[in-house]
Amino acid sequence: MSDPFVPKILVLATDKCAYPGADAVGKAHQEYPSNVYILRVLSPVLFPEDFYLRAYSQGIDGILIAACGSDCPYHGAYDRLAVRIDELTSRMKSGGLEIERIRITAICTVCIKAFLKEIAQMSDHLYQLGPVNRELAEQLRRESVERMQAKARFPRLAPALQGGLG
Amino acid sequence: MSEHNQQVQPQKNKPMQNERAADAPLRIGVYICRCGGNISDVVDVDRVAETVKLLPDVVTAKVHTFACSDPGQQTITNDILEQNLDRVVVASCTPFLHEQTFRGAVSRGGLNPYLYEHVNIREQASWAHKHDPEGATIKAIRMIAAAVGKLHHVEPLEQIKLPNHRRALVVGGGIAGMKAASELAGRGIKVLLVESSQRLGGQLNDRGRVYPTERDAKELVEELARRVRTHSNIEILMQSNVTAVSGFIGNFKVAIRTEAAGIPVTETTVGAIIMATGFRPYVPQDGEFLYRTEPGVVTMPEFLQLLRSTPDAARKLTWNGRVIRNIAFLHCVGSRQLDGVHEPPPNGRLNTYCSRTCCTTILQQALEVRHRFPSVGVFDFYRDIRTYGRGEENYYSAASRAGVTFFRYNGEEPPRVELTPRARAKEGVLSVTLNDTLTWGTELSVPVDMVVLGTGMMPGEIADLIEQMKLATGEDGFLQEVHPKLRPVEVSVNGILLAGTAQGPMNIQETLAAAGAAAVKAAAMFAREDVELNPYVAEVDLSRCCGEALCVTQCDYEGALQMVSMEVEGATVERAQVNAGLCVGCGACVAVCPNRAIDVNGWRLDQFEAMVDGIAAAIPGQECTPELVNIH
Repeated sequence: MSDPFVPKILVLATDKCAYPGADAVGKAHQEYPSNVYILRVLSPVLFPEDFYLRAYSQGIDGILIAACGSDCPYHGAYDRLAVRIDELTSRMKSGGLEIERIRITAICTVCIKAFLKEIAQMSDHLYQLGPVNRELAEQLRRESVERMQAKARFPRLAPALQGGLG
Repeated sequence: MSEHNQQVQPQKNKPMQNERAADAPLRIGVYICRCGGNISDVVDVDRVAETVKLLPDVVTAKVHTFACSDPGQQTITNDILEQNLDRVVVASCTPFLHEQTFRGAVSRGGLNPYLYEHVNIREQASWAHKHDPEGATIKAIRMIAAAVGKLHHVEPLEQIKLPNHRRALVVGGGIAGMKAASELAGRGIKVLLVESSQRLGGQLNDRGRVYPTERDAKELVEELARRVRTHSNIEILMQSNVTAVSGFIGNFKVAIRTEAAGIPVTETTVGAIIMATGFRPYVPQDGEFLYRTEPGVVTMPEFLQLLRSTPDAARKLTWNGRVIRNIAFLHCVGSRQLDGVHEPPPNGRLNTYCSRTCCTTILQQALEVRHRFPSVGVFDFYRDIRTYGRGEENYYSAASRAGVTFFRYNGEEPPRVELTPRARAKEGVLSVTLNDTLTWGTELSVPVDMVVLGTGMMPGEIADLIEQMKLATGEDGFLQEVHPKLRPVEVSVNGILLAGTAQGPMNIQETLAAAGAAAVKAAAMFAREDVELNPYVAEVDLSRCCGEALCVTQCDYEGALQMVSMEVEGATVERAQVNAGLCVGCGACVAVCPNRAIDVNGWRLDQFEAMVDGIAAAIPGQECTPELVNIH
């Protein structure tokens, strides 16, 4: 009964660069797999570690952060993002979640080829890896939230953070 | 940052119509656009509508051929009123095209415009997955599920209002810039016109008579220049360049450097910017058709100069001491270039586009030569004749009647310009050789004294401005409009407009029409006292903020986020506070809060999580339909 594995890829695409870049791919009638879902974001610097881990726990197999790179319109945001993704990657590595499931790259408004290449590459990785270990991702998410709370001077577990799999 | 920025705070939660009890379920309407087949040829829109009806709180899901049309928008507005909808999704093209359109439709229905979510199933589904209709359909369903999920977490938001500076910057003092400036000034709007050279009129100064009016271009230039020079609303900065641009519609900060010594950099604020930066004539590469190798090979601007400097009374046309007896015109030099046939220009990018004005210009000049110097033989080597504009075809028929001889070449095999073999050199030192498709590919060689290259247009050199203003350019390198038909003079950055050949090859009529349109668009922007901005700024939830101050350490915008003292339950505590006028909404602060007490309005974390869930969840009704559930 089980269908062949088709990975779900989430692309976090910046409003100023990668999202119009993804539009440009469609406008040029270039094709990429339909299991790629693009969310428009102002800057992916917004997302805490647990957001990514939560997405894996919900069954997202790979996340491509398609940012603006050096064209980032916000001061310092890209550097902070790079650091955050570095930390996430090492957390995934030590926790046993394959780091090929996360990738950060810069896609410009006309970077059609770069977009297609990134998608193809992520897709290849995910077919090799198979489905994400959702339970492991959920465990890492909980640990991440707890770690954040432990660092706080005034810890207060917000109800939204305690919830498990939706 | 200017002082007025400091005062604004978003006004939130103004009571709107369609209020409902706090615990009542939402009433969501979903509208799926066929885009006249652009979407529905690939995505099974009816199946999408049937499926998304099964999503929580979706009370209606409709398909429309053009959701953006007046009737399409009316359907949404009516449904909000009649079915008491309180959230709306439209699945259509990219949000950059019509998100504002549908927010408007939602507003007209009495709903807060931010209770709307746009889903892009054209650029990011039907066009990108043309050969996977099933996949594209499933994707469309999931994307709508994500939007519906998000709408369960949205709140009404009010736009941020900032004062609108009723003053326009026009970059470029050619005919486009002058036309735009004079139109704006005539509507009572102050204009700052910046021209980099020493004279107004740009390229047109050197063009002689212009088609189809046959008026001297100088007259046009002088008429417009007089208007802009004398109008009290227009300030002109000559020999000046815009060196820095920041800000947004209604509030652009610009810096202008004037070449003359001792003049400091002008810094000023304008509400709109009109880009009238024009084009560069194509300059052939050394040796291209023997250009710069043989003096008899000239470009069209050089030939126009020759004709203008030859007195009307002259009986003969001479160039470099040589009497011209036969002359060849070559079409499409530097335009419609083909990969593998043409050397790319130094920028490495082939000019694959048609420059549009060269055909008629060539025919006009060919006619002029025949009229003024009837003994000169004129030979026209064309790939296609594109005399597309009103009155332009007359030049072709007149040239044919006037005895211009036409040859046609195949784009893959451009004519060769060579030195004529010694034996025939008396007939002309240069010869143009081609396989003439009008005579079934016969190789013909025409000796001439002069070859005029019908050179086209290249994008202006404005890379710095493009970078600073975040403008989009097309594959041709010219500035790109939002939509070639629906929004032809606007760019994706609000408040910046295009006038003339900065956007692509245009003739004078088209240039002036575009410049007029840009001016009117800018004037319409100035009709409002305030500029309304999306309220996408961070906001602190005081019920969750514990005063950790972690967020403040992440903010790179001075004054946008700081700790302030306030009274909470009788105690004085420190809490984070956002200055909405200074916050840019990047969200660097959001990720570090252990209590999720700070979020960016319109882009909140819980909204993103709901979208992820919508994408990750099973397709509604796919595993077991509601009917089956009922049977059990």
